[in-house]
Amino acid sequence: MRKILPLFVACGLVPSARAADPAEFFEKSVRPLLVEHCLECHGGKKAGKEKVKGGLRLTSRGELLQGGDSGPAIEPGKPEKSPLVQAVAYKGDLRMPPKGKLSESQVQVLTRWVREGAVWPESGTATVVSGKTFRVTEAQRRHWAYQPVKAVTPPAVRNTAWPRTDIDRFILAGLEAKGLQPTGPADRRTLVRRVTYNLTGLPPTAEELDSALNDPSPDWFARVVDRLLASPAYGEHLGRYWLDVARYTDYYQPNPREHGEAKLFEFFESYRYRDWVVDALNRDVPFDQFITHQIAGDLLPSPKGEPIYPEGLVATGFLVLGSWDPHDADKDKIVSDIVDDQVDNIGKAFLGLTLGCARCHHHKFDPISQEDYYGLAGMFYSTKVLAGLGAKGGSIILQRVPLVPQAQVQRRQQQLRELAALTNRERRLAAQVTGLLATPAAHPAVLAGVAEATRLRDQEVALRRNLVPDPPLALAVQEGGTVGGRFPAVQDVPLHIRGSYAHLGPVVPRRLPGFLSGGRRPRIGQGSGRLELARWVAASDNPLTARVIVNRIWQHHFGEGIVRTANNFGLLGDAPSHPELLDWLAARFVADGWALKKLHRLVLLSAAFQQASTASPEALARDPDNRWFGRMNARRLPAEAIRDAMLVAAGRLDRRLGGPANADLAGPRRSLYVQTTRWDRSNFSSLFDAANPEASTEKRTVSTVAPQALFLLNHPFTQAQAKHLGTRLRAVPGSDTDRIRQAYLWLFGRPPEEVEIRLGQDYLGRAARNGMDTPWADYAHLLLCSNEFVYLD
Amino acid sequence: MTPVAPSMSRRQMLRLSGTGFGMLALADLLTGAESADDRARNPLAVRPPHHPARAKRCIFLYMPGGPSQLDLFDPKPRLARDNGKPLPFEKPKLERTKTGNLFASPWKFAKHGQCGTEMSELLPHLSMRVDDLCVIRSMVADNINHTGAALQMNTGEQAFSRPSLGAWLLYGLGSENQNLPGFVVVSPVPVFQGAPLWGNSFLPSAYQGTWVRDLNNPIANLRGPSADAGRQRAKLDVLRQLNELHKQRRVIDSQLEARIASFELAFRMQAEAPEAFDLGRESALTRKLYGLDDKHTATFGRQCLLARRLVERGVRFVQVYDAPANNVWDHHGNIRKLLPQQCAAVDRPIAGLLQDLKSRGLLDDTLVVWGSEFGRTPTAEGANGREHHPFGFTMWLAGGGVKGGLVHGATDEFGWHAVTDKVHVHDLHATILHLMGLDHTRLTYTYAGRKYRLTDVSGEVVTPILA
Repeated sequence: MRKILPLFVACGLVPSARAADPAEFFEKSVRPLLVEHCLECHGGKKAGKEKVKGGLRLTSRGELLQGGDSGPAIEPGKPEKSPLVQAVAYKGDLRMPPKGKLSESQVQVLTRWVREGAVWPESGTATVVSGKTFRVTEAQRRHWAYQPVKAVTPPAVRNTAWPRTDIDRFILAGLEAKGLQPTGPADRRTLVRRVTYNLTGLPPTAEELDSALNDPSPDWFARVVDRLLASPAYGEHLGRYWLDVARYTDYYQPNPREHGEAKLFEFFESYRYRDWVVDALNRDVPFDQFITHQIAGDLLPSPKGEPIYPEGLVATGFLVLGSWDPHDADKDKIVSDIVDDQVDNIGKAFLGLTLGCARCHHHKFDPISQEDYYGLAGMFYSTKVLAGLGAKGGSIILQRVPLVPQAQVQRRQQQLRELAALTNRERRLAAQVTGLLATPAAHPAVLAGVAEATRLRDQEVALRRNLVPDPPLALAVQEGGTVGGRFPAVQDVPLHIRGSYAHLGPVVPRRLPGFLSGGRRPRIGQGSGRLELARWVAASDNPLTARVIVNRIWQHHFGEGIVRTANNFGLLGDAPSHPELLDWLAARFVADGWALKKLHRLVLLSAAFQQASTASPEALARDPDNRWFGRMNARRLPAEAIRDAMLVAAGRLDRRLGGPANADLAGPRRSLYVQTTRWDRSNFSSLFDAANPEASTEKRTVSTVAPQALFLLNHPFTQAQAKHLGTRLRAVPGSDTDRIRQAYLWLFGRPPEEVEIRLGQDYLGRAARNGMDTPWADYAHLLLCSNEFVYLD
Repeated sequence: MTPVAPSMSRRQMLRLSGTGFGMLALADLLTGAESADDRARNPLAVRPPHHPARAKRCIFLYMPGGPSQLDLFDPKPRLARDNGKPLPFEKPKLERTKTGNLFASPWKFAKHGQCGTEMSELLPHLSMRVDDLCVIRSMVADNINHTGAALQMNTGEQAFSRPSLGAWLLYGLGSENQNLPGFVVVSPVPVFQGAPLWGNSFLPSAYQGTWVRDLNNPIANLRGPSADAGRQRAKLDVLRQLNELHKQRRVIDSQLEARIASFELAFRMQAEAPEAFDLGRESALTRKLYGLDDKHTATFGRQCLLARRLVERGVRFVQVYDAPANNVWDHHGNIRKLLPQQCAAVDRPIAGLLQDLKSRGLLDDTLVVWGSEFGRTPTAEGANGREHHPFGFTMWLAGGGVKGGLVHGATDEFGWHAVTDKVHVHDLHATILHLMGLDHTRLTYTYAGRKYRLTDVSGEVVTPILA
């Protein structure tokens, strides 16, 4: 199709070849045919509401020449080059009318008409079809999220006693404006349990709780927060939420090793990206760098001046772990799906924009044109994720990048070649010597042969000793297009009409989105342009990026964001409940060097965070959704924390960090390391609403269904932890009451009330009378099933 | 707790049991209003349809791999005439392997029933039920590979994560039996595309399909090591009291109540679900009807019989995969031997299911759908096989709200392209939702700031097939 565009210019100049009485032929045969079979979809009024399919109207010769989304519909005189004729003949991919082919004679009519010059007696001047032009509307221009982050002064409030920090002045001003008041503070036990789960995904230990309760300092809570932020479990827990956004997954196939082909397409090494995220958060890598690493880490220099930068490479795993079909026979589609996944996820994760919506047409709501999309897409078509497209009918081949310098890889290859040559010589020699052994006369030759064999053997041993180890591999991107694909090198790509590679429009230079970048046009040199993109995304004056991440952190601690659509700050997203607070936090975050730990501290030390989760009936009635944050949202623990807390209760949690995922739910490691798979969702994490690894998850849903209860009642994992906890409880010295008290401290971080002790005693007494062999395990089990165990106040 | 007697009154009692979801669901029904809170409290409560439903429940008989429509439902005399000749028109650009020459069906077709729909000799039992079938010969899909095409058939989208048909139905309508999962997938082996075919994607996870692979152990964690119901009851009684104490001081009582109720429901499920899955309760005659007496038909027969027991108990959507192994309908080679075998394995069970549903009066408001992700080429692959073919293939519907004894749409004379009344996968989905009482353009879910629906931006209800 794209070839036809320049021809259009030419054909306008060519006078139509006229056959005998062409006008009559048109009126008698062509026009009725168009009216009957085509105009239902291709006859809409220009400004009217009727649909015009494919942007093509067939109501005048001019429109046919102007064409639609895929270019001109006819080339007069050349039916074989006219998409309209090809389409009605059902040749090629575009087939019209879609509901069924015209009769052969009807196809002949249209073919003849075009061959004879497509005469249209009434046509006169061609009407130009437009309506597809991209225009930024006033509403888009004014949209809050596209305005620069404002410098805001915290507002004045009436109740000056309540605010502890500037955050509180924003929250309180919002409440006071609605005639509401904040809820009182939560007690220390509740706070310590809440903040420990929020920052580490684990419960506080009895010792941690004790020391917090007995800390006389007014800064006691800041000390708790600082201790937690320094714990490696912080990176594990917050990292898991970033992995939600990054659609992280481990392997795809149930038993990858059983599939010979799996080594080509499986995400075996994705755990390196996961471990990088955890480590980066623990080291408090500034968030702007966290972003540039994930978009363009392969292009960053090693801070240590080393020839390669392994962490930079590993971080680009973000771009690799997409959810596309590695087996699609349509290889071009795979490549365009990979690019779409990358553009879409960069938009959602960092910018809160649904960039992917502009793949097939201009964005319907946000100021993102289809050209903007292909300006970005070009950067990713110029980026290599695949080592190859693979065999016809087979899977693609993922690119695995060695995390050592190229010289080292080459040295190993050289060594392996030498080794192969050596063993080859040894084998030949052995065969020779064996042959000689049969002939007794050849004694000296045998001796010489043995000596030579020993020498070779020694060489081999030495070589093996010095063998450069197999290089660790990462799923990472590199510059350059997809080898064997349509775009095999760094290059600009054409706009894909309706998102299809089969219908290409004009080439769009690689560039940043026009309106959103404020016309910023960094020079894109030899590279793909990803580095320039990363720098723009992570720029301190990008209005979206800082707002998006501070909102995610707020959502993490309060259960709801200031903007409740964390992945969409566009016109269809939610408006911020506290726009000034959002700007204040964003500005402060950037001023603090994009340091996430400082941001957590800022939020957690507010009186707003430290509120109780209770509320007066009036407050509940006036703000049922807690839009004004006049209380803490009580919340159920995330899937991972439920399992980890059971392991802690059982005294079995293994705190080792990192490494490949394990499919074994029964193991003692943190849930972060239990394999996530897109293939099987009938697993624990999915049952308890963990993120769907197929797509970016901005916020987890919380469902309450009976299969969860069945898991907790009957699954061997729960039963095993109950048994372990029962054993631990039985070993607690003292009376049953002491043991019940200990159970409450371990599981709920508080001593039991009288009635709770009595219920426990009664249960244990009855169990003993009924001859149950493990009353403590049963009691432990029911406590693990309780609401208090999985809910945070 | 004593084992449950299989009586309707018992089931009704459990469904409306005042202690758990039953009552909450009833309250939702009575008020008709729904808030996010209601949905959180019981995501599976029955919801009113957009318009009166023609079908209350649906069984989708899925034949993974792509059965050959040309050997089963879409006779092409022209293929017999031109057998072995090359395809007389331009081959599609998208082909998996080199397109071979035309390949006539080795099997005979004959007209059956009052309607006279032509059926292959490979499906003798189904041929006897042809007056109930609405055969769509003009199906089209967009993907030529199993994964992408199966995803499209189940979720409407070929590559990216979207909720499945069953998840949308459950989201839209809830489930009529609160003691069983509302969306059950029955497949003896893992279908290789796996959970995305019955996933909830961005819908709440309560709407995902429950995969039953082992009929003896149908629902995960249904029976724990402690089979002692009395002991579990004692635990649950104390748990309930502790949870009530915990709830008293808290404002999120509906969530907490829902969780209390979920344990009671789990307890009841342990009693009811085994009964629902117990095929031993069926008469010898019924078991024979589904082919349980023959080792060739027993596996799929058990799956079909289970589907009937489940829909009878108010399960909204049951998807039955013919999967004694992976992609058993993927006949790239040896089709002359393998296709008759596979047909023989499902023919009697499917005919039995239709007959059984009819005689129980269930077929009137139960929609049965048969099909796969695509069909197969009219050309040969090798000497004895056919390739994947999404450009024109056959599916059929029966029961709730569709015209029986109808053939809808047609492929060209070679059986390559659907040419008349094409039905795209989106159109099929729109039609299934329509029959179930849902308007596919109104059944939406807002995710990442955009409204999504099963049919994306397309889909038209295929009105000529509506009864």
